Amino acid sequence: MSMHSDPVDKYADRRFDARFSDGTSAGSETVGVALSPRGIEISRDRDPQPLVWPYGAIVTAEPLSDHSIDALVTYRYQQGASLFVPGGAFARALAEVAPHLTARAERWRNTRPWLWVAGAVVLVSGLIALSDLSPARTLAGLMPDAARQTLGAQVIGSMTRGKTVCEASEGRAALDRLAARLSAAAGNAAAFKLTVVEWSLVNAFAAPGEQIVVTSGLIAQAQSPEELAGVIAHEMGHGIERHPETGIVRAVGLTAAAELMLGGGSGTLTNLGLALAQLSYTRAAEREADDHALAILRATSISAKGLADFFVRMGKGEKDDGGVSVDLLRSHPQTAERLQHVLSAPTYPTKAAMSAPEWAALRAICEADAKAR
Amino acid sequence: MTGTRVSTAAGGQALELSWVQPFGMVGLSIANFIRRVLTLGIYDFWGRTEVRRRIWSGVRLDGEPLVYHGTGRELFVGFLIVFLLVLLPIMLSGLVVVAVFGASPGVTGLFQTVIFAVASLLFGVGSYRAQRYRLSRTTWRGIRGSVAGNSWAYGWTYFWTLLLIPLTLGWIIPWRATALQRRLTANMSFGDKPFVFQGHSLSLYGPFSVMWLGIPTILVLASVVIGASGLLPGPQALEALGDGRDLAPDIRARAALLPFILLVVGYVSYVLIGAWYQARVFNHFARSTLFGAAHFEGRATGLGLAFIGVTNMLILALGAVVATSLLSAILVGVVYLLGPDQAQYARTLTAMAPVFVIIAILSFGLLLPVTQARYSRYLVEHLRLVGPVDVDAIAQGAKQEINRGEGLAQAFDVDAF
Repeated sequence: MSMHSDPVDKYADRRFDARFSDGTSAGSETVGVALSPRGIEISRDRDPQPLVWPYGAIVTAEPLSDHSIDALVTYRYQQGASLFVPGGAFARALAEVAPHLTARAERWRNTRPWLWVAGAVVLVSGLIALSDLSPARTLAGLMPDAARQTLGAQVIGSMTRGKTVCEASEGRAALDRLAARLSAAAGNAAAFKLTVVEWSLVNAFAAPGEQIVVTSGLIAQAQSPEELAGVIAHEMGHGIERHPETGIVRAVGLTAAAELMLGGGSGTLTNLGLALAQLSYTRAAEREADDHALAILRATSISAKGLADFFVRMGKGEKDDGGVSVDLLRSHPQTAERLQHVLSAPTYPTKAAMSAPEWAALRAICEADAKAR
Repeated sequence: MTGTRVSTAAGGQALELSWVQPFGMVGLSIANFIRRVLTLGIYDFWGRTEVRRRIWSGVRLDGEPLVYHGTGRELFVGFLIVFLLVLLPIMLSGLVVVAVFGASPGVTGLFQTVIFAVASLLFGVGSYRAQRYRLSRTTWRGIRGSVAGNSWAYGWTYFWTLLLIPLTLGWIIPWRATALQRRLTANMSFGDKPFVFQGHSLSLYGPFSVMWLGIPTILVLASVVIGASGLLPGPQALEALGDGRDLAPDIRARAALLPFILLVVGYVSYVLIGAWYQARVFNHFARSTLFGAAHFEGRATGLGLAFIGVTNMLILALGAVVATSLLSAILVGVVYLLGPDQAQYARTLTAMAPVFVIIAILSFGLLLPVTQARYSRYLVEHLRLVGPVDVDAIAQGAKQEINRGEGLAQAFDVDAF
């Protein structure tokens, strides 16, 4: 036997006991089975001619493997009929004769199209990222103003929840004057609205609908009104470029995609609100915002040195000494690069961002509130 | 058919229900997991199908296996349709509601109530349809199973009885389970022979009261026993405290033990009594299910179900631990390879973050197929078909046109398998 190279010849003489159901009822009969070159031959007592099921048109209930303990075979052109052959010997022989029925072949058949799809998804996302196309940005640009306003109110609401909003009248007036001045120079259709929250974090955020949140920590840390003006101008830059709206559209899109890929079981759709407040921007987006900030500051004759000082402070991290630490900037190349960009802008005659009394009132915007109550 | 079997006087034969352990469930779990990760999760539908085929083939009736004919494509298309028609509209309507009416608590509360109602209704509809799909894709000796009836009627019963659970302090649960089981079973057929459901919820109320009263009783008894054992500080110890400001550390530690012990006792009794009740329900429903002259008989026990449940949970936890350890190893490897360039490191991690999230979420399902096979094995080995079945008289039923999978059920995570 072993001298034959064709597996069909190897099993030509083997007979296997099996049970056959013709699919018209749930009864079954005992039959003899052989693996002939034409296909599986099923010999029934009452039929002189065996049934032949060609290998190309048969399906096994379970993919065949070395560990198969039996095989249940059906035939594409005889609906409902099934052949059950107990014992592993037949299954192993059939796997040799019809390799497309093996577990390995089947899994590869099922996986291959999706590997192509996954590859295409990675490729397309890569190309979109590389060519600076942003579908999220296009969609964000199409968002109506009313929707941007409510989204902005949503984000501001979730950011200020449980925190005090600082509204001391003199400080507020000083801030409004600065905001109006910057806003007018920003060239945006709508004016920017600023909210100050009592929060030790040193930061400012742009929200959809021309909204900006400034923390009391940032005001306390700022060494000059120019520094604060620089940061606010930067956030206005994000707002002009619709970065917050883009971030939200992207978050929604990614969540929907994740939900689709994970079969809906991840429950992320319901937690979408959580994702909205968590926005961070790409390097290119920060650069765009910086460019806007420089233009705004120039138009308002406020020195860009304030913005540069803020980058230095960011680069220093939490270090207390006043000097510029070049080493620390080296570990934050993005900040160093942005600092360089701001410093390399041409200089122009400058005016103070606000008067000393205004600056003092603004710095007390949260304290005065507490006293008033 | 000219069979070689022994026919009984009643015009049929006894069919033995048995389980043949499918080979390589662990290997299949791992292979599916890797494929799911590589295809960003989409292989799940095909993986699930392969698992079902293997589990179905383990169930033997008269020595011949059940065959699962469903395909991954059907599941995928079914889910895609539900995603587009149900999940996406729900998500977008949430955004629209917030954008139009603002984020006031009243509006979001109302919206969430509506979503909950819709989701509960669809959950019931989905589970019925999932059963219908699975049965229509199951054959034995080439004869198909089927479920007729209206899935919305089932969904409606599921929904209004769900609302009554808190109002009746849970006492509607046995009636509800029986009503739903009857609706399903009475619509089930194998070939052209229908299943019959002949059971009443009354027989479940005994076990249910034991469960309902049993767990609080055990908690009270446990408190009494702990109090009497002197493990906790007695009244004289408390008196000696005076105004109670200076509790000795050992007394404080022992006092803190009480809630912990009660929690453990409560949980263990909940698992055991809950499993005991579930076993009684399983056996009752089995005995209530008739097929021709034969009926089913369940012999599940509370301890058995509790053991399977607890060990399955441990197996899933083991899978998640293994997968997340691998994930951590990859993370450490990335950090090591990138060296001290922190910016490069941060960018790479940001780029890889979605992949890690997908792996982490998928890791909980790593050994799911193993647990499903164990659970199926337990149920099959504790179920018998008693009485003669005239197999020659069972013909193929009318073919139902169901050409897509159980999307609704998967979207709401109804699936046991």
